[in-house]
Amino acid sequence: MSPKAPQTDSAGPWIRKVLPTELERIREPEHEVLARMRDLGYDEDHRFAVRLALEEALVNAMKHGNKMDPSRRVRVEYRVLPAQVEIHVADEGEGFDPGRVPDPTCDENLSKPCGRGIMLMRCYMDEVAYAGNGREVHMVKYRRT
Amino acid sequence: MPEAENPIHMADREGVKLVHLKASALLDEQEVEALGQALLDLAEIPGQRVVLSFLGVTHITSVVLNKLVLVQRRLQESGGEMRLADIDPHVYEMFTITRLDRNFRIFERDEEAVASFLGGAEG
Repeated sequence: MSPKAPQTDSAGPWIRKVLPTELERIREPEHEVLARMRDLGYDEDHRFAVRLALEEALVNAMKHGNKMDPSRRVRVEYRVLPAQVEIHVADEGEGFDPGRVPDPTCDENLSKPCGRGIMLMRCYMDEVAYAGNGREVHMVKYRRT
Repeated sequence: MPEAENPIHMADREGVKLVHLKASALLDEQEVEALGQALLDLAEIPGQRVVLSFLGVTHITSVVLNKLVLVQRRLQESGGEMRLADIDPHVYEMFTITRLDRNFRIFERDEEAVASFLGGAEG
């Protein structure tokens, strides 16, 4: 599945931010998304899931995508709606093939200190789709009551 | 870049190092690095037994999980082991999803984890 381009539609507007490649800048969109989710009454399970996935996506974009190059930027777009949370993260790196990331839960990989971020994103979000040769990821978490 | 504040408190319980984390969320890169380095320093001691308590910790990321895997590997290479305790249900779920509950013996409370090293409770 290819990610939907984050365009404003009748569901609601997107918030768009361009971040420098600095890990401490991750907090800003994270706090905003969580605050909006709290305002809309999302429970702790949903907030934990979205916080984790957003953080993993942004860390991946800065570390593995942009390789911590301060001249590169990360674009993050999100919208928190009553029924779902949508997040789109794009980096300026070389890209990668998400299908070739080894499964960290295989016995031979359990002792390897890497490769768990994407797996967690897929587990905690309802939709995770990559585009742009792995430089963009689009994630959706639906509200469940 | 300022040096990270020591993110852990460490105590000795009959040869078992009991490590508590000070923060409720291990997010800051430097904090995670400092935690990893402090635990890796323990792994330099042959046969070191470590209990890492997550009491009060409500959020971690894969960076922390990966660091713990590395520490466990180093400890086991030198005949030691790290056991975990006091893990919040959300954080515990991350261990089960990634199957890391197979890499670590996990206890409800730190006293039980310490006792397991001393021949007491089993996890």
